[in-house]
Amino acid sequence: MLRPSADPCRTLVALQVMLPYNFTVTQGAEAVAGSLLLLSGGGGAHLMIEWVGRKTIAGYAYLAALATLFVQAVLDLLSPGRQGRRETLRVLTRQILFTGVDALPVTSVIALLLGIIIVTQAGTQLPRLGAGGLVGSIIVITVIREIGPLITAFIVVGRSGTAIATELGNMSVTREVVALRLMGIPISQFVVMPRMVGMVLSMLCLTFYFDVVAVFGGYLVADAQLTIPFSAFVESVTRALSTTDLLMTAIKGFGFGSAVAAVCCYHGLAVRSSYTEVPQQTTRAMINSFVLCLLVDVVVTVPLYL
Amino acid sequence: MSEAAISFRQVRAPLAGSASHLQLDLQIAAGQFVALVGPSRSGKSLAIEMAAGLVLPQSGKVMVLGQDWSAVEGADDGPVRLRVGTVLQQPGLLSNMTLFNNVLLPLRYHRGAMPDREREQAVMDQLERLGMASLRDRFPAELNQGEIRRGAIARSLMLEPEVLLLDDPVAGLDADMVLVLKQYVGARRQLRPLTVVAALRSFSPFIEGADRLVVLQEGRVVADGSLESVGSTVPSSLRHYVG
Repeated sequence: MLRPSADPCRTLVALQVMLPYNFTVTQGAEAVAGSLLLLSGGGGAHLMIEWVGRKTIAGYAYLAALATLFVQAVLDLLSPGRQGRRETLRVLTRQILFTGVDALPVTSVIALLLGIIIVTQAGTQLPRLGAGGLVGSIIVITVIREIGPLITAFIVVGRSGTAIATELGNMSVTREVVALRLMGIPISQFVVMPRMVGMVLSMLCLTFYFDVVAVFGGYLVADAQLTIPFSAFVESVTRALSTTDLLMTAIKGFGFGSAVAAVCCYHGLAVRSSYTEVPQQTTRAMINSFVLCLLVDVVVTVPLYL
Repeated sequence: MSEAAISFRQVRAPLAGSASHLQLDLQIAAGQFVALVGPSRSGKSLAIEMAAGLVLPQSGKVMVLGQDWSAVEGADDGPVRLRVGTVLQQPGLLSNMTLFNNVLLPLRYHRGAMPDREREQAVMDQLERLGMASLRDRFPAELNQGEIRRGAIARSLMLEPEVLLLDDPVAGLDADMVLVLKQYVGARRQLRPLTVVAALRSFSPFIEGADRLVVLQEGRVVADGSLESVGSTVPSSLRHYVG
């Protein structure tokens, strides 16, 4: 149960999203660090061990908080309250429009250029190795499996993730988040869930869209520079493309969308009382989103090759 | 006297930015209008936040309409939340919505079955009474502090609450608007029973509408009574807070 702790802002933030503040990171870290100190017997190593302990537990607590946000959003999606469905749907629609539809032009340009670059490189280097017929495989492996989902995630983080963190941060400072709670409007249901669902859906669609446009960009080069006919290019790509590739793309799109939404909502709502915290938390949201996306990518990709 | 709508039972909570604690033992009857008056850091806002269930006391119990906030688990505050309207010092109008949509939001969210036209008419009625009908399509950034506050008060009353908690409701309001607000709250109280608790940091004509004044200093109640009676019991250093 939340109590008016020495830091009332922490209580408010915890009230906003029910983050797991029952367990305080510092207390936990100190407990572990204290135990290690007793074992180490003193000296400068104490500080190092304490620091490592603190950081490790803070990292786990952070991941636990993100998981809590995600699980709560899933629960809210599966069992929406009787009230406010239309309003929540309105927020969800706006999120999809902003994250998905509005991102189409920039995604198209980046995907097209990337497809052109990759096929240009592949088309000029591979024939020297006697592997000119692998252009389709290169497109599938580099773009559809790896770069497509990742670059899409980076575009979404840069456009929408930072926007979410900034918006929620400003809402926290101006106490709009508290005002919603006072109106009986659950933050997780009205603020977090629609943003998370909107981002996951948009990320999935944008990832596939990116792949298609990038492959098309590759075809433009293949046709103009490498004189590979359309039918041969398509055949080369479809031969290299498997159901696993499409499944991996979908899994990555889902994983990246969930991770980015959870991180950005968390950091936005973690803003406490000052506008200067907003850019700080936004920057953290962006960096942590990138790192988490790469982490998800490794977790999804590596087992496939083991 | 009818049953207490709000009760602070042996409440003790730390005052932010001060070494002292708020110590409150107060019963507020249903339908009563209580003004909490006193200097800054005397515990008025904390009392409002505790009554709103935002902050829990270190010890003691805060009951609102029979609900003990400390017994609430999770993010859902239960049905009592909708029976309590609250406007804090920072009113928190949503910046991405117009004034009209802000005031409409509680109805849209909680009264989904209500016809659109009926809901919109209800909002316009409130805005007209507060002299804000012409500002309906303005965003909060285009409104002044007093207009934002009046908008938030209108929003807090849209669900017809039984309890209204106001923290510094006259901040940023000109003298005419203070009278408009006083009449507005008075009219709402005549329409249906409404318990009002308002925290005020200086004397204002708004206080004249209160049934009871509770004067706070450094977290303690130093005077409690009607506007007429409290003048004689309040310490001389705080007399200007009560008129």
